[in-house]
Amino acid sequence: MSRMTADLTRTTKPGGAISRRRLLATGCSDAFRPPVIRGGLIGAADVLTMSTTRWLLTDQPLAREYTRADIAPDFPTWGQTNPSDEVYQQHLSEGFANWSLSVGGLVERPRWFSLDELKRLASRTQITAHVCEQGWSAIGEWTGAPLAQVLEAAGGVTPDARYVVFESADGWYESIDMFEVVHPQTILAYRLNGDDLPVGNGAPLRLRVERQCGYKNIKFVSAIRVVDSVAGIRRGTGGLSSDFGFHWYGGV
Amino acid sequence: MLISSSFGPAAGKDDFVVATDPVRSGVSTWLRLHTYNVRICHWINVIAGGYLLLSGIHIFLDFPELYWGHTGYQGYPAIFKLSDWGISWDEAGEMGNRMWGRNYHFTFAWVFLINGMVYAAWNLWTGHVRDRLWPRRDELSSARLRDELAEQMRWGSPARATATSYGTLQKVSYVLMIFIFVPVMLLTGIAQSPSIAAAWPWLLDLFGGRQSARTLHSIGTVLFVLFVVVHVLEVLAAGAVNRIRAMITGRFRVPEEAQ
Repeated sequence: MSRMTADLTRTTKPGGAISRRRLLATGCSDAFRPPVIRGGLIGAADVLTMSTTRWLLTDQPLAREYTRADIAPDFPTWGQTNPSDEVYQQHLSEGFANWSLSVGGLVERPRWFSLDELKRLASRTQITAHVCEQGWSAIGEWTGAPLAQVLEAAGGVTPDARYVVFESADGWYESIDMFEVVHPQTILAYRLNGDDLPVGNGAPLRLRVERQCGYKNIKFVSAIRVVDSVAGIRRGTGGLSSDFGFHWYGGV
Repeated sequence: MLISSSFGPAAGKDDFVVATDPVRSGVSTWLRLHTYNVRICHWINVIAGGYLLLSGIHIFLDFPELYWGHTGYQGYPAIFKLSDWGISWDEAGEMGNRMWGRNYHFTFAWVFLINGMVYAAWNLWTGHVRDRLWPRRDELSSARLRDELAEQMRWGSPARATATSYGTLQKVSYVLMIFIFVPVMLLTGIAQSPSIAAAWPWLLDLFGGRQSARTLHSIGTVLFVLFVVVHVLEVLAAGAVNRIRAMITGRFRVPEEAQ
């Protein structure tokens, strides 16, 4: 088992905290800057913003968890609410019985997970606020497999792993760094408020990365890939929103 | 050309410059009114504040409703809807570009913050805040404030054009802006960030939730606009050319009535 894999195992224990030094030692100094730094004053501000908030998050605190009484009566759907992709529509019509998630790239044993296999992994349930960068927020109860568990079930990541890239059925993609990957609340959610994830909220699987804005919480996840660099993937900024011109780091 | 020593408490003999005024016949008296630090910070503030306002409006227009508490989304009970004021959701969305808004809002928030910290540190250190900005106890009597307010309401008041130290109302409003308004705007701004709210959950408790923080931040924006409008009107009333020149070059031509 590689060093990083060992760290992933350790850090996903309940209540486990990783020190900044440990993250630095495991090649996670990426925590302080986006994979691609934009030019000019905006790029400088990006780095200041990311390094400052990540410094505040050194001890990896959890995002606030709420009670059932706080859950929004009708959790909004936003953006893509039903991908027209043929393969996706086929899976939808079959209730995702034949759907599977591809986990590849820099993992020891690349593999596929059916929805049942993901549900058999240890799950985490969290009642959190979805914070949209547009301005709205809503509280929901998410249940899913911690991302670190999923990677562990694929043999763990290799030492040069730096980012995890998520592909969605509607052609969207996003990536997060290892600082976010090892966080206990970073889960691949298949349930919202106790029910299977509705189509409008990203069925059958969406990313919950609770300390970043909604646009990083990619819906309709169909494949995840561990990489050492996001260069060469589409326009190379590490996500479709950052390809458009948003800050890659969605922490503010 | 005699200048009362009440002008500018820090005024030493080097602060007065006698120069020939090419426009008026005779000789004018100039006073060094604003320090380098105040002038540079002021104009950086104008740029940063302008960008913060414009980019903030862009962000707001992309979601033109306000709520109270932790939760708020289209369809949830709102306490303010721009559509009630004749601008529909779609019209607002076309006017606002949240990507541009977010990029510039967070960039100039840093410019504003760093500039403000330099200003505060420098002027607390040099005593500018204590000597020129902080209202003295005797200035805060209700009778004095009432008199100043009455004076303030007279557009062409000669006292405005000759003043070379801050009036009490001016002091009170600047101190409130710098030490209350700006920190509250900063905190209500960062309380909306999911990463900072995770690190400092007390921010959510302080303001009652992310949507409350967003609403307070928006109300603050309106107050900021009011402050700027009054500030600019005051500059116009107090002699725009002389006042703006003083904030650029530092030198204030003492009007003849005062000489």
